Amino acid sequence: MAENMSKITAVLVLGVMILFGIFFVFGNKKAFSENENRELADTPEFSISDAADGELTKNAEKYFTDHFPFRDRFIAGSAKLSTLVSESIVNGVYVSGDRLLDMSAEKRDTTDKSAELINKFCEDHSSAAYFVCVPTSSGVYGDEFPQYYQKNIENRQITSFYNSLSADIRRIDAYNILKMLNENYIYYRNDNKWTTYGAYCVYKTVIQKLGFSPIPYSKYTVEHVDFDFRGDLYDITQYKDIVPDTIDIYKCISGDKIKSCVSYNNSGKREKLKLCDKERLDSPYKYDVYMGETKPYLNIKTTVNNNRKLLVIKDKFGDCFIPFLTQHYSEIAVVSPEALRVPLSSVVNVDSYEQTLFIMGVNSMSSSDLFELLNK
Amino acid sequence: MLYSSLLFIYIFLPVSILLYYVTPTKHREKTLLILSIIFCGMINLWFLGFILVYVAVNYIALRTIDKFSERKEIASIPFAAAVCFDLTAILIFRTKYFVSLLSSIGVPNGFFPLGISFFTLSAIGTLIDVYTGKMKSDKNVLRFALYIIFFPRLIMGPVMRYGSFNKAVRERKDGLYEMGVGFTIFVKGLAKKIIAADNLYMLYTAVGRVDYGELSALTAWIGITAYILCLYFTLSGFSDMGVGISYCFGVRLPKSFSYPMSSNKIRYFAARWHIDVIHWFRKYVTRPVSRNIKNMYARKGVFIAVWGVFGFWYTFSMNGFIWGILIGTAITIESRLDKRRIMVISGVIYTFLIAAVCTVFLAEESFSGAFRYLLAMLGGNRIFADTISLYLLKSYIVILLIGLYTSTSLFRNMLMRSGKNKLSTAFSILSPIAVTGILIVCTVMISYSGSSGMILMKL
Repeated sequence: MAENMSKITAVLVLGVMILFGIFFVFGNKKAFSENENRELADTPEFSISDAADGELTKNAEKYFTDHFPFRDRFIAGSAKLSTLVSESIVNGVYVSGDRLLDMSAEKRDTTDKSAELINKFCEDHSSAAYFVCVPTSSGVYGDEFPQYYQKNIENRQITSFYNSLSADIRRIDAYNILKMLNENYIYYRNDNKWTTYGAYCVYKTVIQKLGFSPIPYSKYTVEHVDFDFRGDLYDITQYKDIVPDTIDIYKCISGDKIKSCVSYNNSGKREKLKLCDKERLDSPYKYDVYMGETKPYLNIKTTVNNNRKLLVIKDKFGDCFIPFLTQHYSEIAVVSPEALRVPLSSVVNVDSYEQTLFIMGVNSMSSSDLFELLNK
Repeated sequence: MLYSSLLFIYIFLPVSILLYYVTPTKHREKTLLILSIIFCGMINLWFLGFILVYVAVNYIALRTIDKFSERKEIASIPFAAAVCFDLTAILIFRTKYFVSLLSSIGVPNGFFPLGISFFTLSAIGTLIDVYTGKMKSDKNVLRFALYIIFFPRLIMGPVMRYGSFNKAVRERKDGLYEMGVGFTIFVKGLAKKIIAADNLYMLYTAVGRVDYGELSALTAWIGITAYILCLYFTLSGFSDMGVGISYCFGVRLPKSFSYPMSSNKIRYFAARWHIDVIHWFRKYVTRPVSRNIKNMYARKGVFIAVWGVFGFWYTFSMNGFIWGILIGTAITIESRLDKRRIMVISGVIYTFLIAAVCTVFLAEESFSGAFRYLLAMLGGNRIFADTISLYLLKSYIVILLIGLYTSTSLFRNMLMRSGKNKLSTAFSILSPIAVTGILIVCTVMISYSGSSGMILMKL
């Protein structure tokens, strides 16, 4: 009896192993996972140097893992299981009662390198500089972390970064504005980033510093364009039990309009772009509804008739913020360092803008190579 | 590539088994050697090169020792040289002092020959056996190479004498039945590692984040319980996986752990913990050293010191040494104090408490850290329990209970006692489904990262 059962075990287990192997070999391999919103690993290429230091096997493991049969379903199951048997932490993301929070803030490299590069940039140009360093949701909702986890890491990171900026740069304390309002829907539940409302709350302060009075909330009509947004934290965890997010588009009907909006890629090719285009809700990352995939350089001209020009240097946090600025400036140039591969001076003449606004998440501050091209 | 990675479980392992069984019986051993070489090469080519040189040096030394077995003074030269070579290798890779030397000869950063602590013991043991004339060296270089690099034995042993390994390979009995047993043991080890150890490690690191000056006694105890269970499940999990894989090829290796957590005396705990390694130290260090010592106290001293060396072997740091000394001392004191029988339950609790207190030194990197942690366990921070301990208990209660239950022999005993009744039949009918099910659960749990890389200590 036991002997026969053991033979059945052998056949069953070997069968499962071989079956998954066959599924893997003959399954079609996607280059891009819509569910995880990322490029999957390429077929590893053999080279002696890679084999020598073990890189080849690592690549093979990555490739096999990324294209493992039923990966999406397995990851979703893994999220469920790991919250069951241990703390509510899934792949480095904390599942708080109603939202996902990234736990990697403490691992960020917090050298002053980024601040130094930005200081140099501001020294070299006459334009008046303003800096908004935006916390991620784990900074604003840090109180929801387990008690043993450090709570105000991001606050400290922002403060230390602001302290290393030179005195000429005006800093805007987005952290405390957002922290005070954290009862409201200012951050997505499934994403690191702020909602359009969160961006609006900070806009009110920023625009005053820039010398304008803010457009009151009542002037805007808010359209809920999507009720099923799952953001970057969902991509990591595949945790489905959090309520999906709503994406809002703010329109100022009576306000100024956009005359033209042109994006440029790194080789200078122009392309027309529509801000807040609902058609982009079909893309894997719905947040792209605001400005589309990150372009290195963007030029927006509006019907505002004051000849004021603003240069914005931003990361993804800026995407839902920029539409608010279009009510105040005749021309806005938008630079995304993460997509920029050519020196900044070759795409835009910084000195022709009287003001420069940096609007970036605190998580971008740890990668100083982001700012290398600003000074070239 | 560890045994607990998707690539290994779903590609390397089934392909190896198929290749092994399609090879004619005569050549199956060679297939195992080739598979092991591929396994080493997949870790990286540096490792393959290193281990082949290692095999060659030890093989040549063994043959030379044998050749001059009549003339000890000449045989002692290759013996000493090979032992020095093996010890130098383990010192270079397990301590931090040679990093710049290694990188200057082009060794990639972070290169570590996994399993070096185990195959060093195997190699030195064989050298001693041949030198002292207990056995003849084997002419068969392929068998000797397999002894060192047999891939199921590479990562976490078990350490065994050349003679026993030789016998296990020579008299192997392979077939579908063995494969079934092997898979059952392999999946058991995989579950120990992925389900138990990885989650317990999360708990242990969570406790480690609290400042030791504010650690409540309960949290500290939860943390050390998690650590000791995690250590047990990691070591025995890898060892089980190895034993299971090798069983699939019909090679029966001994197991390294025999439910140490359910011992009712610290002496039994020590006898069931990492049996193969402790046996090695007793055979090749304790016995030869204390053979000529008549004084009882000095013999006890040697016994404790060798435990210290065993602890040092774990960590290559002072704290591991202290752990060993403490366990050795506890065994010595216990055997002097108490000859009475202890009740099972109180005995198990007593053993666990002693083991937990000692293991603080294994868990902590520095002496002062271990001391502060111990103080917290004894309530030195004047907090018995706080919200952190309650939160951790609530979050990890499932895994802690599963861990405590399965680390003792309770489950096995239940199966044994059930004898020939219906329960036992039910279990054997369910076992194929249970094994496959657990394999799938483990696959799910590593599906995101593709492998479970936490190894707690680099052995």
